Amino acid sequence: MARALLAVALAVHLVGIALAAVGELRHREAVARAGALALAAAWLLELATLTAIGLAASAFPLRTGPEYLLVLGWFVLTLHLALWYRSRVRAAALVLPPVAALMVLAGFLLADPPSRTSPLTTQGWFVFHTSIATAGVAALAVSFAMSLLFLVKERALKTKRSLRVLTALPTLEALDRIGFQALLYGFPLLTLGIATGMVYSATVHDHIWIWGAKEIFPVIAWAVFAGLLWARFARGVRGRRSAILAIAGFAFALLTFVGMVR
Amino acid sequence: MLTLVGMSHKSAPLDLRERACFAENAVPDALARLLASTTVSEAMILATCNRVEILCRTADGGVAAPAVTAFLARERGIELPVLERHLYVREGLHAARHLYAVACGLDSMILGEPQILGQVKRAYAVARGCGATGVVLDRLLQHGIAAAKRVRTATGISRHAVSIAYAAATLARTIFDDLSGRSALVLGAGKMTELAARHLVSQGVRDLVVTNRTYSRALQLAEALGGTSVAWDTFGEELARVDIVVTGTAAAHPVVTRAQVREAVRARRGRPLFIVDIAVPRDVEPAVGELDGVYLYDVDDLQGAVDAAMDERRRAAEEAWRMLDVEVVAFDRWRQSVDLGPTIAALSGRLHALGEDELRRFARRLAGLSPEQQAVVRDLARSLIQKVLHTPIVSLKSAAVRGEASARAALYREIFGLDDPRPDAEGSGTGPTHAIQGGKDD
Repeated sequence: MARALLAVALAVHLVGIALAAVGELRHREAVARAGALALAAAWLLELATLTAIGLAASAFPLRTGPEYLLVLGWFVLTLHLALWYRSRVRAAALVLPPVAALMVLAGFLLADPPSRTSPLTTQGWFVFHTSIATAGVAALAVSFAMSLLFLVKERALKTKRSLRVLTALPTLEALDRIGFQALLYGFPLLTLGIATGMVYSATVHDHIWIWGAKEIFPVIAWAVFAGLLWARFARGVRGRRSAILAIAGFAFALLTFVGMVR
Repeated sequence: MLTLVGMSHKSAPLDLRERACFAENAVPDALARLLASTTVSEAMILATCNRVEILCRTADGGVAAPAVTAFLARERGIELPVLERHLYVREGLHAARHLYAVACGLDSMILGEPQILGQVKRAYAVARGCGATGVVLDRLLQHGIAAAKRVRTATGISRHAVSIAYAAATLARTIFDDLSGRSALVLGAGKMTELAARHLVSQGVRDLVVTNRTYSRALQLAEALGGTSVAWDTFGEELARVDIVVTGTAAAHPVVTRAQVREAVRARRGRPLFIVDIAVPRDVEPAVGELDGVYLYDVDDLQGAVDAAMDERRRAAEEAWRMLDVEVVAFDRWRQSVDLGPTIAALSGRLHALGEDELRRFARRLAGLSPEQQAVVRDLARSLIQKVLHTPIVSLKSAAVRGEASARAALYREIFGLDDPRPDAEGSGTGPTHAIQGGKDD
């Protein structure tokens, strides 16, 4: 039941992506609105799926890597919809919904049989750790999207070729600013996620640290983001270099899932 | 019938357009004379620096072009043969299509320029204000103006900048959130730099610093633009502070070097710097454009943006024409439904006349009834005829919505013999009220 619901949600999600992209790139307001509406519907359907999974298991749907991916994708879509309705940075529709869809799709394809879940994963402390980490990575996804758009726009400005790109995307300043704001939310959450993970690991497994992808990549990502924040505050680094670091940090944060779904 | 007689930059030289042009305050009187001296029943005059057009309608379907041409010749004191060589005439739906295209800027000197729509609105307001327009022109203009707005928004025909100075300001707007409160440095005090700086000021740039080798010129331009001036050899400090630089000096060699800007970039702490170099030979070393956070545009780059914008507009124009044709068809359907007026009136007149005939024929046999009962019989007959009329009229109107009104009307005229020269077919005198209702229904 949850799987069928999720398949429908993904289909609606894809329709929303296509409509939103056409709407933004071709300046069709009505199409862009239809896209946003479809994405909102996909958001509801994905929420329904997560609820169904949670009810069936009587636990938060954050027990396995694939479930984690579903929640992450849904979070990213949530932030995108909030950004779409609240700000003028509508071009994020070109990046965030596809990123969210990829996460949900990965969760859909990799879905574990419930037998593999450990009873430990239903504990409150673990749920707290995973929710915090997911919210953090979702905020970093917004930073990633803005950084990617920044690089595309800055490239167009430097090469002086694509007028369409220049007018379709938000201003350089807006992309830089919103990307940075997302980082300011995402970084503390990521920090808290890593810290709670260590505490959890210490209480359950009796060790704080093990050399696994799930442990190493978040810490590398954290180091990259910490370096980026230091560079911005202390050295006034902005723009292209800041964008590249934000993209790299997000890539490392995503690699965490290699350790979770194998 | 609709008729449009006019001349534009495409058909007539400037001196003739100047002679043919109407001042706005002279238009109401001219319209009054046009309506009084010709068979024209509705009219509007559109007069801009690039075109003079008279749009009119004759109620009886007669040809208006020769009379309107003669009127224009008389009114503006231009010899008729000269005028005729440079005029174009559009009739019927071609006139509607031409008006729509003009309102969209498709016939403008600079494709898609937005001012013309305002001028069309103004011309319509003047004509309407002096009572020169009626049912058809009102509908045509209101529909046309709304259609032009839709077409402009949907196709983006007016979106991109098509002059160098404007392109510079537009590019600045793709970098900075908001130009108001931004600062700009102007190097050189020539015509082109002044124009570019004026565009920036019109976009909200407030803090303007002007410098020039000859300081007095810098002072003059700064005063004219409401900015300040600094000595030429101190502009390096400004590079670290301002957001936008416009240069256009007559120097033979670059005056802004890579080393200079590199130093400024370090002090800027990542704030983007937009440099517009409109000088030939260039004022800014091309290598400056490679620096991080610096966006350097020279004349060719700006011209490239202008050319690209023109290409975009030409592409948009093709789509705009397609949309316009749909709008013209919509207007045509409305017009057809108006043309149904006489047919509907004739049909109704014919059937009611038949009813009257029959009542007269039965008059003697009804004589035994009381006056009240006779009135009831008459009402019965009328009501029956109204009921019979209802479906054919509805069907005719819905045919008009599909654009098939003419054929359907011809069929009715044949079936009911509406064109037969019989006295009882004379119901068409009440046409216009039906005509207006017919128009509102769809």
